[in-house]
Amino acid sequence: MTKEGRTTMRCFFARRAISRAEDRGTKRPRWVERHAGRCGSCGEYARFTASLKARLAGERPAFLAAVPDFPLDEAAWAASVDREIQVRAPGRRYVLRPLPAAAGAFVVLAAGLVLLLVVLREAPPSPKDRTAALAALKSFAAAPDRLPGVVTEAEFSLEKERRILEKQLSSAVEYLQARLNIKIERRDPPAKST
Amino acid sequence: MTDHDPIEGTTDEELARRARAGSGRSFDELARRYKRRLFVYLRPRVGSDEDAEDLVQETFLKLYRSIDSYDPAFRFSTWLYTSAGRLAIDAYRRNAASRDKLAAESAAELPDPASDHDRDPRLSGLWAAARGLGADRFRALWLRYGEDLSIEEIAAVLGRTKLAVRILLHRARTSLMKTAGPSPARTVAPAKAADVRGARSG
Repeated sequence: MTKEGRTTMRCFFARRAISRAEDRGTKRPRWVERHAGRCGSCGEYARFTASLKARLAGERPAFLAAVPDFPLDEAAWAASVDREIQVRAPGRRYVLRPLPAAAGAFVVLAAGLVLLLVVLREAPPSPKDRTAALAALKSFAAAPDRLPGVVTEAEFSLEKERRILEKQLSSAVEYLQARLNIKIERRDPPAKST
Repeated sequence: MTDHDPIEGTTDEELARRARAGSGRSFDELARRYKRRLFVYLRPRVGSDEDAEDLVQETFLKLYRSIDSYDPAFRFSTWLYTSAGRLAIDAYRRNAASRDKLAAESAAELPDPASDHDRDPRLSGLWAAARGLGADRFRALWLRYGEDLSIEEIAAVLGRTKLAVRILLHRARTSLMKTAGPSPARTVAPAKAADVRGARSG
């Protein structure tokens, strides 16, 4: 509730709501109307805000009329555009100079060559490669007992890479501990639920 | 220019469209309509009346040169005030080195809004009080109530978010009520709608 001569948090929100309704051109919420009816200062703010548009529009002509008149140099606008055209005009003549033209042509040629080489290098697999890949697949299909051996070999490579990464990480942690004088504890991952 | 000149009743956007097509007279009419309004808008941001006049001239010069880029789908006033605001920032940066000196000189030579208010009875009322609220709040009030721009348009002109504009306007209204008082009796009586329209076009 609002006490005489004091604004409360409710007043703050009510005035914000009054302003919001004014800015959006919407109706004020009913609680705001009720509050403005009870609270003198918020009621004044509501009336002031509601009357502001008409009052400022009414005072606008007198306010503008009080501004001292001053001349504008209309001729300067056209003159500036003319000057700009004159300044720009010589620049619009395109001249093909031999050296930059040759350099440009060389760059375009080099780019074309690079593009061609990349495209050739990344050409689709030849029929020979395709036949070899199919033969390998067929051999796995014919002798499935060889498959575990291949999988173990792949897993061994991955395990080796994991160990290398772990080693690098621990040396990085050691460096950080020494450098920043902090202690970093290793937290083991949670056990997998079965 | 006669009273029956059709250019008088033409909208700003139509005039700008004609100016884009090469009509210098249309552009002159736009300049005539907005000269004082732009001055009022820019004056709180610069050190003196002369600086504000120069900035108005510079704004119209810029607009004249870039009239081809004006899109008639948007209000002319939004485009004008956005350009003017940018030029004011450029001018502020240009004068940064000598700003303190200029401010001291202008404070000594030029009357502040409060003294204008005391001396010129025409400057009494809410707009004069609004001028004393600071450049940002005055500009927001001017664009909202003097130019009837929407919150979105004001945000575009001032380069702020819509929320920031709403907060600015709320603070400006609160301060204005404290400064000018809530009673309409203390302000100039609202003029007729015809006067308002006349001033908007002039």
